[in-house]
Amino acid sequence: MSNDNDIILSSATSMSTLTINEVSKDGFGYNPSVGPQSNIITPEASTFLLSSKKSIITNNPNSIYDKNIINKKNLEISLSSLAFLFCEMVNWCHSNSKGIQDLETRLNGLGYQVGQRYIELIKLREGFKTNKREVKIVEILQFIHGTFWKAIFGKTANELEKSQDVLNEYMITDNVPLMSKFISIPKEYGELNCSAFMAGIIEGALDSSAFFANVTAHSVPITGYPLRTVFLIKFDDSLSIRESLRS
Amino acid sequence: MSSYYLTIIGTRDNPLYEVEFSSFKPNSSSTSSSASASSIPGRAQFAPDVREILPFIANSSLDIIDDSQWSTSNFNLGRVDSFYGLVVNAFITQGNVKFVLCYDNVGSGTNSKYDDNLIRQFFIDVNDLYVKCLLNPFYRVNDAIVSPEFDIKVKLLARKYF
Amino acid sequence: MKVYSIYILNKAGGLIYQNDVNPGLNRLSANDYLVLAGTLHGVHAIAAKVTPTINGKEVATNEYPNNQNAILLASGKLQDSNSNKSGLQSIETDLFNLYIFQTLTGIKFILITSPNPVVHNLQQINREVANKGELNKQYAQANEIFKHLYIIYSDYVMKDPFYSLDMPIKSSLFDTKVKEIV
Repeated sequence: MSNDNDIILSSATSMSTLTINEVSKDGFGYNPSVGPQSNIITPEASTFLLSSKKSIITNNPNSIYDKNIINKKNLEISLSSLAFLFCEMVNWCHSNSKGIQDLETRLNGLGYQVGQRYIELIKLREGFKTNKREVKIVEILQFIHGTFWKAIFGKTANELEKSQDVLNEYMITDNVPLMSKFISIPKEYGELNCSAFMAGIIEGALDSSAFFANVTAHSVPITGYPLRTVFLIKFDDSLSIRESLRS
Repeated sequence: MSSYYLTIIGTRDNPLYEVEFSSFKPNSSSTSSSASASSIPGRAQFAPDVREILPFIANSSLDIIDDSQWSTSNFNLGRVDSFYGLVVNAFITQGNVKFVLCYDNVGSGTNSKYDDNLIRQFFIDVNDLYVKCLLNPFYRVNDAIVSPEFDIKVKLLARKYF
Repeated sequence: MKVYSIYILNKAGGLIYQNDVNPGLNRLSANDYLVLAGTLHGVHAIAAKVTPTINGKEVATNEYPNNQNAILLASGKLQDSNSNKSGLQSIETDLFNLYIFQTLTGIKFILITSPNPVVHNLQQINREVANKGELNKQYAQANEIFKHLYIIYSDYVMKDPFYSLDMPIKSSLFDTKVKEIV
């Protein structure tokens, strides 16, 4: 693969819109040169769907589509294996990166994809009867700070604050960030914080919910909590306009 | 017997998946004007010119969805639009992916409430499938969903509910 | 028992960590610490070779690595993490005690502690008393410390992406945790 070393960016593509030059490669959408081409029920599919035998549906017995992902039991994994995996991820990013900033961006990009997926999964697990879509900035922040954090780390984050000075800036604080629990940053790496991965998860979750934001992780140690990390969330200016229009 | 057109729209208003189907129930009722003996159960029976504009109807409803997206915190947006007898129902996930279902309203005017509820259930199950699809590490947000398994599962849901 | 100093040696005998946790020892130059570590490593290896035998059979179970690896693979659990069965295990003097703990991968943890409590009249102590008494107590305590040391080593050193194997340990978190143990 030639693009093996290509950086995985926190794709802000969700903010852009389609252009006329982007042609669907997969046959979905309307192609004027072909006409309507929608996915229709073929005679075979029809007989198949109507038949009562459902055992031959797939040749893959472990298909994700047959599994119950809402099940809340046995969702814990070993912290050690997670720590080793994360250690390798940091190493991998490190070996490809050109500098500290680059390393953080790469970690952020890896987390971004996790966040995009996780927020949908958590919303699904919450169930539709009791829960709602988050449409307000404060509400989604509370959701991330509470439910989301708990689902990933088994505990809620420690603090959620609004910046005094800057509009559209919020801070989530975690005293003991789980992923980087065992990592101490050497002095020559300066301001590096491996929780950039976590920041990426938050950013991915917010972006895909259309709360476009930039999230960065900063170490702010206090006595007793040497790893205390503040996630600084800076929302796009367009959000406050949207919010003010609706209220 | 109603025909349905379901499409999944990504965050950039790009189509991710579409399918046409109709009610699988054998239409024993008297309103069997459109169904001929040779028809395949489950195949959508949109008129050709209607079929041509289905993606456009879905697309035009996106503006309305975008508008109501921020005023309600429901996942199911319900009936958002109608276009010459075609009704458009929509559902939006937390990750801003929209499910749009267009269907012709033949013979179901009396119990539309029941229909809406059915569609809501259908959407919730499609959302479940979508999240499963999203859990695939080789699938990225906003990619078209080409998994044949996803396809067959959606069609099974269609058979189950309609 | 007072722990004076903790050393960690990699499998080649290089000093990768040294911490004087309690005052009581003279500071040496950085080079001398390396020499000391190398010497201990060598003496340990020699001791493993000069283990006494009875009729040509080794008294200490030297089959440790093979056997233990099999147990480890089968059960996923290691009963005793100390693989130091035939080498130098401890040195007891009037001024200090020294204990060595070796992991399966050959990392050595070395503890220098205060000496055993003084037994004044050097009378013959029978084995029964010795097993229960003060003489073994300190050895057990040292082993307890080794166990914790091994745990935090696996946690805060091996899981740190900025640590490369066999290189000196600079992790500040590890330092803090070591101080907490002692």
